[in-house]
Amino acid sequence: MIASLPLSFAEPVLLLGLLSLPLLWWLLRVMPPRPRRIEFPPTRLLFDIAPKEETPSRTPWWLTALRLLAAALVILAAAGPIWNPQTGLAGSSAPLVILLDDGWSAAASWDTRVKAADELIANADSDRRGVALVPLSEPARDITLMPAGTARVALRQLAPKPYSIERVETLPSVERFLKATGNCEIAWLSDGVDTGRGPEFLEGLSKTVGDRGLTIFDAGTPPPLALAAAENAAAKMTVKVLRTNGGVTAGIVRAVDPKGSPIGEARYTFAPQARETEAAFDLPVELRNDIARLEISGERSAGAVQLLDKRWRRRAVGIVSGSTNETAQPLLASTFYLTRALAPFADVRLGDRGAPQQAITQFLDQKLPMIVLADVGTLSPEIRERLAAWIEQGGVLVRFAGPRLAQADDDLVPVKLRRGGRILGGSLTWEKPQHLASFTADGPFVGLAVPKDITVNRQVLAEPDAVLATKSWASLEDGTPLVTGEHRGKGVVSLFHVSADMRWSDLPMSGSFVEMLRRIVDMSGYTSSPGAGVASEAKVETMAPLRTLDGFGAFGPPPSTAKPMPVDFRDRATPEHPPGFYGPADGPLAVNTLAAADRIAPLDTSALRAQHASYTNAEPRDLRGILLSSSLALFLIDAIVVAMLGGGIAALLRRRAAPAALVFMFVLSTMLAAPQPSRADDNDDFAIKAVSQTRLAYVVTGNSDVDSIVKAGMSGLTLFLAQRTALEAGDPVGVDPAHDELAFFPLIYWPVMPGAPKPPQDAINRIDAYMKQGGTVVFDTRDAIEAPPGDAGASQTPGMQALRNILSSLDVPELEPVPREHVLTKTFYLLRDFPGRFNTGQTWVETLPRDDDDDAASRPARGGDGVSPIIITSNDLAGAWALRPDGQPMLPLTPGEPRQREFAFRAGVNIVMYTLTGNYKADQVHAPALIERLGQ
Amino acid sequence: MAAESKHLGGEITAIRRADGESRTLAASLPRLVLEARRIAANVIHGLHGRRRAGAGETFWQYRRFVSGEPSQNVDWRRSARDDHLYVREQEWEAAHTVWLWPDRSPSMAFASRQSRDSKLERGLIVTFALAELLVAGGERVGIPGLMNPTASSGVIDKMAQAMLHDDADRLSLPPSFVPSALAEIVVLSDFWSPIGEIRSMLAGLSASGAHGTLLQIVDPAEETFPYSGRIEFVEPEIGSVITAGRAERWVSDYIARVALHRDEIRSETNKLDWLFSTHTTSRSAAELLLFLHSGMMVNKGSARIANVKVGRSA
Repeated sequence: MIASLPLSFAEPVLLLGLLSLPLLWWLLRVMPPRPRRIEFPPTRLLFDIAPKEETPSRTPWWLTALRLLAAALVILAAAGPIWNPQTGLAGSSAPLVILLDDGWSAAASWDTRVKAADELIANADSDRRGVALVPLSEPARDITLMPAGTARVALRQLAPKPYSIERVETLPSVERFLKATGNCEIAWLSDGVDTGRGPEFLEGLSKTVGDRGLTIFDAGTPPPLALAAAENAAAKMTVKVLRTNGGVTAGIVRAVDPKGSPIGEARYTFAPQARETEAAFDLPVELRNDIARLEISGERSAGAVQLLDKRWRRRAVGIVSGSTNETAQPLLASTFYLTRALAPFADVRLGDRGAPQQAITQFLDQKLPMIVLADVGTLSPEIRERLAAWIEQGGVLVRFAGPRLAQADDDLVPVKLRRGGRILGGSLTWEKPQHLASFTADGPFVGLAVPKDITVNRQVLAEPDAVLATKSWASLEDGTPLVTGEHRGKGVVSLFHVSADMRWSDLPMSGSFVEMLRRIVDMSGYTSSPGAGVASEAKVETMAPLRTLDGFGAFGPPPSTAKPMPVDFRDRATPEHPPGFYGPADGPLAVNTLAAADRIAPLDTSALRAQHASYTNAEPRDLRGILLSSSLALFLIDAIVVAMLGGGIAALLRRRAAPAALVFMFVLSTMLAAPQPSRADDNDDFAIKAVSQTRLAYVVTGNSDVDSIVKAGMSGLTLFLAQRTALEAGDPVGVDPAHDELAFFPLIYWPVMPGAPKPPQDAINRIDAYMKQGGTVVFDTRDAIEAPPGDAGASQTPGMQALRNILSSLDVPELEPVPREHVLTKTFYLLRDFPGRFNTGQTWVETLPRDDDDDAASRPARGGDGVSPIIITSNDLAGAWALRPDGQPMLPLTPGEPRQREFAFRAGVNIVMYTLTGNYKADQVHAPALIERLGQ
Repeated sequence: MAAESKHLGGEITAIRRADGESRTLAASLPRLVLEARRIAANVIHGLHGRRRAGAGETFWQYRRFVSGEPSQNVDWRRSARDDHLYVREQEWEAAHTVWLWPDRSPSMAFASRQSRDSKLERGLIVTFALAELLVAGGERVGIPGLMNPTASSGVIDKMAQAMLHDDADRLSLPPSFVPSALAEIVVLSDFWSPIGEIRSMLAGLSASGAHGTLLQIVDPAEETFPYSGRIEFVEPEIGSVITAGRAERWVSDYIARVALHRDEIRSETNKLDWLFSTHTTSRSAAELLLFLHSGMMVNKGSARIANVKVGRSA
């Protein structure tokens, strides 16, 4: 095996062949390339020239290097390289002892481990050595030498354990076995994780092994990851991700509900050198409560799973009210405000047994983690003692002030209270109602926004003493405390110095109240102390295992070795209590592989006198095929290059490469740039060009024949307009409705190609907007001559169908053939129809509003209100307008009546004038009457 | 055999292309003719007066009417001046023969990448255009061994047909024949033949006192020798081979050798008072044509300019 590469050679001697490469280099340098053969007429003159020195021109160095590489590959291939050669200990005939780590930390790379063991067994088998397989998790197992076949079967039966193993405990039996066997060779398939007593084991191992050969497999697998210390904290669920060292730097922790559906994912990232990091699930509390299992995505081991039970879920809170009129006006009662405030994140239970004492007793019996006493005054000593004990064990007691508390006297409050309440802003006081001023930095409310709109009218006052400030969690503007609290034992006592209803303050109505209660509830019973105090007083119950994890972190039925668990068991999992859920199916308790405080450390075996080996996690691969084929490919390349050099392409390559490449790139870029002369890259230029002069526009179809005719046609019409009318338009512009701004043009001529695809929706939208904003589009199907005879014929041509396809998504108004009195027939010339290259096609415009009054019939022109946004014709107007550069018409006319072209131009003039002047001509018909009236 | 047929195919293509191109060249020649006239303004162009009365168009003299002549010969305008009858006589004019020899040997098919046409194509274009021009000017044009002198206006077609149907060997130099003393000979070739062959050809052609022009048409590659590396040069006609290990080192020697070859040819032509010039195919054909035309005029005007060089890069 070569130092660190998993590469070995079957015939390393053949590698000496590589020494011949310099010789080959020299030979290749000396051998002349094949000359190029060139026919050259003045060759006879060349005979007269004395031959120059005939040293051959050298082969290019890179070609030589290519050939050398190919030759080297052949030599390497001949030496029989193998990638990932099989693991093996060879050279001894002593029995082989395989120590196998099989705790949870071995699970993630279990297959690799088993494969390594399998190979070891196979090697031992071929050397006819006995094998002893020692899983380090089973100190009680009897160690015997087995033949390889039996060892293999035994190996197959092993599975990683879901708990942390103590390797030390197996050492005595190993020692016994070694003493009995004598000379042995030992292989330890380590997982590299120290779960606590690692150094002790190493010391013992070195003592046990003595001078026998020891090989430690500890490299080649990714170090395992683990989860521990899941906490359902105030705003998010956090869990610690642990690693030994190095390896994975980031990943994902998944949260899964009891049925296995995913709830959320959280990323974690290890800082360099850090052994632990945190993943946080920022989820609503309801969702967080549903989390039953956290697991590291992609890591298959019991250690990478954290099971969560009800102790991580929302807490039940008991509410006891001291007032008696609660039921009379339920919407004003303190219990109502408390219930509404606590409901979003806690399970609220109301004391329904008449007296507060009874309710408290009941809640204590139910082992609730938190009890709220709203204005409960005097408590009986017996209850008080129970409450105090409950608090010591972790209970959270929250009290609200009120008339009764103000009169009472007990020690279940965090501070000493002055008798009698203090009323602010009332008629008998000298101060105004107070606002909430601040939350103390070390209190539970730190970080909450301080609401400015809370007024406190009345409160109970604390006796000022030295510790008051430390116990104060929230204070009013005058410095008196609003909320005080104190840790007692594992629990908390807290007091709101106002009542839980609206009589003393409007705090219970504010959102802050909810947040403050949430913070307090979060303090009650989770991970380290969830329900601890509640449970501990009860007698030790046991819970039977329900579902347990196997070593890979998958749920399964509990193994026969699993024993019922005491209810207060909260340690890490053991062989007797494997990780999993225990107890009733509806509210099981979880046992995890790692306890909250557990950390994992790498096992430092460098002090041990042993060989180190790596796991190979891949099948051995014979590299000969790859090498030979790549060498073949290199030879092919060489042949092609030689052919090119001989063929004279070399000259091109050598001398013209740079300029040719430049020219090629230039040509390419101009070609790429060419198709978009009027296109978007400089929209400003386009806009300036379009608006600096009135221009006719046409839609570029992409068919170069049609486009050139249409362009010539629009130019012809522009020329005609300049000759006959006052409109001297600029050069026509080809537009692409999908890209160009259309608003600049009064008229767009759209030649419709048969079978033209529907324009993209973007273009349709622009056209629609253009038509709505007063533009006119002339659709010309240019196929009147192809129309089948008959009335409906004109609408059945392929062009018309393409047009229909285009118009199907446009908002087109109702159309009609141009009526005789339409203003379009009178805008400049008086026309009867609109011929183009053909004169049989019908011209359609937007239907004019029909006015039925009598004088309408007598009016010679009707204009409607606006300009028709659409004109449809099939006469190929542009074809008739198209002129060659020398002024001659480009296309013949059909049927070619005299002056048909003149009339086609006149139709164009009328259309342009119509789009420019609108219905102005329709009004002109009244001119005589107007002038006559003015004259009078 | 294959090479032969390939060359023939190439020649046919070249003839066809040259046919078309020479027509456009000749069609654009009014300009060239004008140019030529400007250059040789005092030179009679076209038919040449024989300084005696005969068939012609220019006035020569009036002579007395001799009885017995047809009466329509009488020039009545002149006769009305006095009592005699006069006959108007024209100067006798006769065309003169130009022999053109386009070299169509395989070596002429060479075209390097730098050039627009092969030498063959350029030679044919110029031959055809010159023929058209000369015929238009009233001369008779022929190709030795291939086409008898003709003044027909379809001379290009005739030449092309003659070449297409020619199955003789493609010689570099014209076959020896005896032109008339007044004939003009234009030989368009690459003149890579040994100087001895060229010398004997010149001696044969000039024996009768005819004048002529040798025009060496070369490819730019033959001028500059732009080769490098290991190259095997093959002579296309006789197939001899020479290998240059490093062709780039041969450049200066080659150029000197070419210059020597040309000097030898030039000294021969100078002796005979012929014209010799070179033309590179990277230059335009019209330039060459203009040179030839003006050169022939100058030749006739006996204002000989020795060593006129056109078509070579300055």
